[in-house]
Formats: sequence, C-alpha cells, structure tokens
Amino acid sequence: MTYSTVRLCSGGGSFEAIPHPPLQLDLSALARRLEAEGVSVIDARVMLIAKLEQEVTIAQGGRILIKTHDQVQAERVLADVLRRFAIESPAAERPDRRTSRANQ
Amino acid sequence: MKGVMLMSGGIDSPVSLYYMLRGGHEMLAVHMDNRPFTDDSPLEKVLDHLTLLRERFHQPIPLYVLPHGPTQVTLMRATDRHVGCVLCRRFMWRSAARIAERERASFLATGEALGQVASQTLANMRSATVAVGLPIVRPLVGLDKQEIEAVAKEIGTYDISIRPGVCCQAVPDRPATRSSIVQIQAEETPLDVEAIVDDVVRRAVVM
Repeated sequence: MTYSTVRLCSGGGSFEAIPHPPLQLDLSALARRLEAEGVSVIDARVMLIAKLEQEVTIAQGGRILIKTHDQVQAERVLADVLRRFAIESPAAERPDRRTSRANQ
Repeated sequence: MKGVMLMSGGIDSPVSLYYMLRGGHEMLAVHMDNRPFTDDSPLEKVLDHLTLLRERFHQPIPLYVLPHGPTQVTLMRATDRHVGCVLCRRFMWRSAARIAERERASFLATGEALGQVASQTLANMRSATVAVGLPIVRPLVGLDKQEIEAVAKEIGTYDISIRPGVCCQAVPDRPATRSSIVQIQAEETPLDVEAIVDDVVRRAVVM
C-alpha cells in the first residue's frame, strides 16, 4: 500500500491523500493512540477528526483530509499522520506531484 | 409573512432568499454550523451573502448560527450511514422550526431544487420534511442549476459561493437516493431527538 501525495480537494479548501489500495483502518485503536499522545480527537465511528498542526479527517478507508490551503504544510501534516500510524510515507517514492481540482 | 431561510453558504440558498425578500417577506436566516466536518468558509460565505442582501433590501435579516457538528457525530455513531444526509436534514429542519417558533415565523424556506443532489430526490425530501409541521417553501424547486447560477451572478452572490472551502465530510460514499419514512424513523429510534435539538437551540448564536 502506498499513499499518493496530497492533492487539492474538490472544494478547493483542503488537501487530501488517498491510499492505493484502500485500507480498512481500526479507527478506535487509532483514536486511542492519538489520545495517548495528547492529541484532541473526535471519534465519529466511520472517521476521526484530529487536531494536529492542522485539523485532519481520517476515514475508515484511509482517505486523509488536511484542512489547509498550503500544500507544503499539507505534506508535512500527512507525513506526521503516517508516522504516528506507522504507515509508509509517500515522500521517499513519490512519482509526481498531483495538484488538480479533480472531481469538480 | 415572516419566514426562516436555511442558509448553507452555497449557490442556491442566497438566490432562494433573494426571491423571498423580493416577494416582500420578512426573513431571518439559520445557518447550521457543520464544523468540524467543514471549515470556517460556509459561515463566512453566509455572512457575506447576508451583508449583500441586507444592503439590497434594507432588511436586518438576523442570522442564527446553530452548532450541527455534534449532531453529525451522534448520527455517524448511531445510524446507518447511507441515510445520513436525510437524517442530517431532519435535524436541521427541527432546529430551524424551533427558531421559527421562537421568532413567531410561520414558514421555513430553503434553496433546494428537485433532484439536484442525493438528499433532494422527491423521496428524500419527503422523508426529511415530515420531521416538522411548518410549511416549507422552496422557491427554486423547479429551476435547473444553470438558471440558479445565472440569478446568483446577477445579484452578486455567486462569487462568494464559489470561494474555496472544505466540502461536508459527513456525506457518505453512497448516499441513499430513495429513503422510506419508516426506515428513517427506525434509525432515529435510539436517539433522544428532543434532547439533541434542545441542546442545539440552546447554543444558538445570533449574528
């Protein structure tokens, strides 16, 4: 499994990263791990909302949405999330930088 | 007549409000604040829409901002995600109806147009709106998106609506397009509906 790098979401107000293939995350376990690290987190069963450097939404299928308009910051926050979850970072093998308004 | 318009920050609701104001109705607005499932942008857009329409029609148009994020969390934890949008709207309607009651308004209004998104199919609109007893006015119901956008551009709300923002993260991957009232009521059975709405209305902020 790898994450593509971040791309602008359809509303243009945040960046998202999507794993290929999709994951099946244990969100409750991830929520407990984040809380143990002192992170404020809302567990909405099918997604988590965590307050890291920026607010991040993590869906059960692994989609990560980072609420920022700054791509560099979004990539930094994504790397932080993946490190916390011990998921392979895209930075080392990133094939390209996709910045599109896909799905609009 | 006095009515309550639900304002989302999108393209449709300010156009709908424009038609109601143009028709001579006294309007107030309700915005269901969906953070943290969105960002600050919907509220900022609603405030800008209202600034524009207040000036145009010389009406105060008070805005009630009601917290909707906690309700979304409750729904996501306890109910079937496929009908999440219908349940979400039922709680919006209930909250807006309470504000209407407080303000002695006699109807609710919305920017819904038939068939535009999953929650606006005829079956889902019916499932959502039976949650309240007040009449619901939909000035845009028969218009298509191009017609609505043309009016939005003409009245100056379009450029505000299309500013970047986070789309609602609570929308399920595959929202139901045809819900039944029986199913929706069954989904709400484990919820303390009145307590949820009480809490939302208690935390209303007027802007």
